[in-house]
Amino acid sequence: MNDMSFLKSFVFLLVLFVFVSVVSVFEASALSEDVAALAIEEAEGVVASAYEAVLEAEEAGANISVLVARLNDAGEDLAQAHVSYRVGDFEGAARFADLCREIGEGVRVEALGLRNLAVLEAVQRFWWTMTMSIMSAVTILCLSLLGWRIFKRRYFRRVLGMRPKVVSSES
Amino acid sequence: MNLEDYRTLFAVTTVGLMLTAAFPTLSLVVPFPRSAERFSELWVLGPNRMAEDYPFNVRVGEEYRVFVGVGNHMGSSSYYMVYVKFRNQSQPLPDASNSMPSPLSPLYEFRFLIIDGGSWEAPLAFALLEVSRLEDSCLVRRMSLNDVIFSVDSPSSWDSESDGFYYQLFFELWLYDVTSRSFQFHDRFVGIWLNMTG
Repeated sequence: MNDMSFLKSFVFLLVLFVFVSVVSVFEASALSEDVAALAIEEAEGVVASAYEAVLEAEEAGANISVLVARLNDAGEDLAQAHVSYRVGDFEGAARFADLCREIGEGVRVEALGLRNLAVLEAVQRFWWTMTMSIMSAVTILCLSLLGWRIFKRRYFRRVLGMRPKVVSSES
Repeated sequence: MNLEDYRTLFAVTTVGLMLTAAFPTLSLVVPFPRSAERFSELWVLGPNRMAEDYPFNVRVGEEYRVFVGVGNHMGSSSYYMVYVKFRNQSQPLPDASNSMPSPLSPLYEFRFLIIDGGSWEAPLAFALLEVSRLEDSCLVRRMSLNDVIFSVDSPSSWDSESDGFYYQLFFELWLYDVTSRSFQFHDRFVGIWLNMTG
């Protein structure tokens, strides 16, 4: 009787253990799927922001070739994260997404710095170009006026120096 | 020429030279329209990075290699995505005229940035790993793309006109749109036909 009772208890505990194990595996899987999905979503947002910052830096005239190369690494990781997620490798997906986010954040900060620098340089360049343009235009105007005065004087001297010439006509 | 004509000539020449001197400043202030057409290129090359020797008659378990490339002529750096999809003859292709991508789920993907005037190219190794064949039907169960294994479960019927079980591996080009903050199908796709021979 005691043996039967022990066996029943053992079977009950075994069934309970298996049930708890299966539930926790499913829960863990669902959890890691959610974690991976969230990590990918965050990484996508970071890469998009980084790209927009790079675009602004490019429009401001900054050299973005290094940033593009680094953002490509981030894009590669993001693509890997999506592919891993599709085949059910949620841990791999989360890992790739985290790597991507790390690179993307760095690129975004650097791009903003580069953009600010490029804007500053563009403003300086604009003032320098405008100053040079104005100086050139004023110089051209002055030289032109001076040239016109000299030309006019020579022109009048030439016209006044002309003498009417009598030409005999033979019939 | 009289003096009045000379004065006009001097004035016109002076104004012309002054405008030339002011051009660098004007070019920074006045936005000059760009006449160049904006577009992107998408291509697929064979294993030797040439438009030849594309894999066509494929066997189970053998690995094949192609190169996919994109060229950017959009006027600024662009963020692209290429979806790799697999279809049989009856499954839909993208509808580029209506800007509709294929409704099939992507298997593999690439994401990358290209500066204006630049290009990008990457290899794609693929293999059909598990294929079931009956007399007039074929079912591709699993395939690998760059060493990642995917379940595809794509059936195909015998094409009596072309003598084969035909599948297509195709690539869709997507472009990131800053306004909507999402990728949009960029009306470009390219693919290679595969004949499941053995």
